[in-house]
Amino acid sequence: MTIDLASKKILVVEDQAIMRETIKHILVSFGARHIIEAESGINAITSMRIDRFDIVLCDYNLLRGKNGQQVLEEARHLKLLPVRAIFIMVTCEQSQEMVLSAIENKPDDYLIKPFNRQQLLSRIERCYARKNYLVSIENEIDSGNLYQAIRNCERLLQQDDKKMRMQLLKMYAELTIKIGDFTTAEEIYQNILHERELPWARLGLGVVAFFLGYYDQAIKTFQDLIEQYPVMLEAYDWLVKTHESMGNDEHAVSSLNSAVTLSPLSILRQKKLALLADKTENLAIAKKAYTATIKLGKNSIHRSSGDYSGLANVYLKTNAANEALKILYELNQQFHNDPEAKLRAALLETEIHQAKGNKALAQQAYGKAQKLNEQFSKQLSRELRLEIAKTFYLNGNSEACDEILSDLVKTNIDDKLFIKDIVTMCDAIIGDNYAETLIQHVKKELIDINNKGVSLFQEGNIKGALAVFEKAITKMPDNHTITLNMIKIIIHDIKTSKPNPEKIASAQSYINKAIQIGIPHNQISGLQTELDTIQYKISQ
Amino acid sequence: MTANMPNTHILSIGFPAILASSVHDIKNSLTALRALLGQLENIYQDPKPTEFRQLEFETNRMNNSLMQLLTLYKIDLSQFSLAIDEHSASDILEDIVAQQSTLLSLSHIELTTECHGDLFCYCDSALISNALCTLVNNAQRYCRSKVLVSVAEEDDYIVFCIEDDGNGYPVNLLSSDYKQLPQVDLASGNTGLGLFFAETIAELHAQNDKRGFIVTDNESQFGGARFKLYLP
Repeated sequence: MTIDLASKKILVVEDQAIMRETIKHILVSFGARHIIEAESGINAITSMRIDRFDIVLCDYNLLRGKNGQQVLEEARHLKLLPVRAIFIMVTCEQSQEMVLSAIENKPDDYLIKPFNRQQLLSRIERCYARKNYLVSIENEIDSGNLYQAIRNCERLLQQDDKKMRMQLLKMYAELTIKIGDFTTAEEIYQNILHERELPWARLGLGVVAFFLGYYDQAIKTFQDLIEQYPVMLEAYDWLVKTHESMGNDEHAVSSLNSAVTLSPLSILRQKKLALLADKTENLAIAKKAYTATIKLGKNSIHRSSGDYSGLANVYLKTNAANEALKILYELNQQFHNDPEAKLRAALLETEIHQAKGNKALAQQAYGKAQKLNEQFSKQLSRELRLEIAKTFYLNGNSEACDEILSDLVKTNIDDKLFIKDIVTMCDAIIGDNYAETLIQHVKKELIDINNKGVSLFQEGNIKGALAVFEKAITKMPDNHTITLNMIKIIIHDIKTSKPNPEKIASAQSYINKAIQIGIPHNQISGLQTELDTIQYKISQ
Repeated sequence: MTANMPNTHILSIGFPAILASSVHDIKNSLTALRALLGQLENIYQDPKPTEFRQLEFETNRMNNSLMQLLTLYKIDLSQFSLAIDEHSASDILEDIVAQQSTLLSLSHIELTTECHGDLFCYCDSALISNALCTLVNNAQRYCRSKVLVSVAEEDDYIVFCIEDDGNGYPVNLLSSDYKQLPQVDLASGNTGLGLFFAETIAELHAQNDKRGFIVTDNESQFGGARFKLYLP
């Protein structure tokens, strides 16, 4: 296949002028007309804000500022790259790509330096052809319609294109895992492995075992893979996840530490290591990882004030209060317009001054924290709000603490890991029964809402039932039961009234959300089939 | 004490880091060098001076050697994994031709490829095509006028075969044990490192009890050297 470069918008990100010149020269000789050059990551991002590119060629080792991976992460995060676009990372050595491999956000392809004109063209062509072939799937994934993406995958597989078959099967299996259909995923991976031992298929089986709760089996799979492929970072990432789910945080820290040694430039791994090591009181590791995260964060979309407060907290725990204050000072400098950052700093300052015995300063910082919380409470991350609740309680304001905790339990009742964090905090500071009572209370409230909605529905008052659930969903947007009931009622409503595209779209978006918040496949797939049947009938 | 100082210094950075950044620097220089060569070449009309061909060959070789050095070093440290996946054999052939295309455009050598059937192999394609490129690069140098790269299925192996019409391999490179790195032969400029590398990479590819391997002989259908890489 040949590609018509004349119609493509191309961005070349490269810090060396001579290389930019050469790449441009090659592209022009192949007919390209729209070529934009950027000599730094920041300029690349600016260019991508202005133009929607079809092809991005980006050097990994940009001398100053962001590296290629950080450019890619930021572009994807800000949705600056169209689904169809290809992003090719230019690197110096082949094995670098594995070590770089970020937790998410892989480029579409790699190109190893030095390359000649034919190699450049051939890479672009092959990459573009693949992306084009898969675009019907990628589009649906991009809009969150995972069931439709799976159907498109199945359709393409039927065409039996041998070159694309493995790629399709890989996507197919990953999608079935995403919607929670682990039986199908397992079957796909087993079939591939029956043909040939492929590391990604083996990894997939481990992932399926993880989601099915067969943790020992998952751990063995990941450990075997690491033994055979010592730099397969994905196997490390899953091993860490499995240890965590089993409650073996110490093991998780040690596996993650090995992965970070292999990929010291991956900010998300460093960040995760910092948090885990902090949680398990491995303070030396935590300090090192927080420091690395802060350094990498300077050019990254993943930079966060939490990295600074985390490091300051570790200093505080190791009795280095002055070091901690220094970090907080830096935090305030770096994030001077960010209320969340200011709140983090104020909370820690309260603790530090208390530890140093400066009552007046502690009181002053606490006042600042209270005020910021009043102003911004709803915009703050849940982890930070849990911290605030703790500080409030410790400073004698149990009323404000109650308010935050009950809201956190309400909005996160289905998230077992976070509820566990709340319980741990409450048990340690407030008292044994506090969290339990709160959880029971919220569950009772949920049942009441549900009963009310369902009985309205049974009376035939669809509007009334919808109103009850709609109101509940604004308060508890991630609640499983409410979301499921909402979908059921909308579908019933569509069936019993005139077909209405808006209602269908609304049902589909709740289904997509249901997948996102982790409602199991067996509870969603029936509803999706019902909705598909309705749509099929309308289109007839 | 003072005599030990430099050594401790190196250890504190770590040799792997030094090697990696050296390779990185040299690769950047090589890339710039090739870009400059390209610009210089554009000034000349065809036929271009033969020195360009020699320069292209040498930079290819420097690049291949660097890559081999780094890969072998990592294998030695056990800091290396193959990235195994299914690849179409014709794509690998295409990669080799693309890599050699500049050199080809500067010479009168005919490089042809043959793919017998819709073949797929399970391998680390970047490494395999690198190993093959080194050998094709050499074949281009030692042949008279043609090189053929072909892929076929033999028993349960996928076999990549490079044949030329030159004088064939010297006896020391026909050894059945490529792990014995032949004596460096400065006169011919051929150290056998390319074969050693190909053998090492081939061996890393395994399926059940089968491993990859290489064979060299002078049975080329054009009367020159023949190299075969077997992948299970």
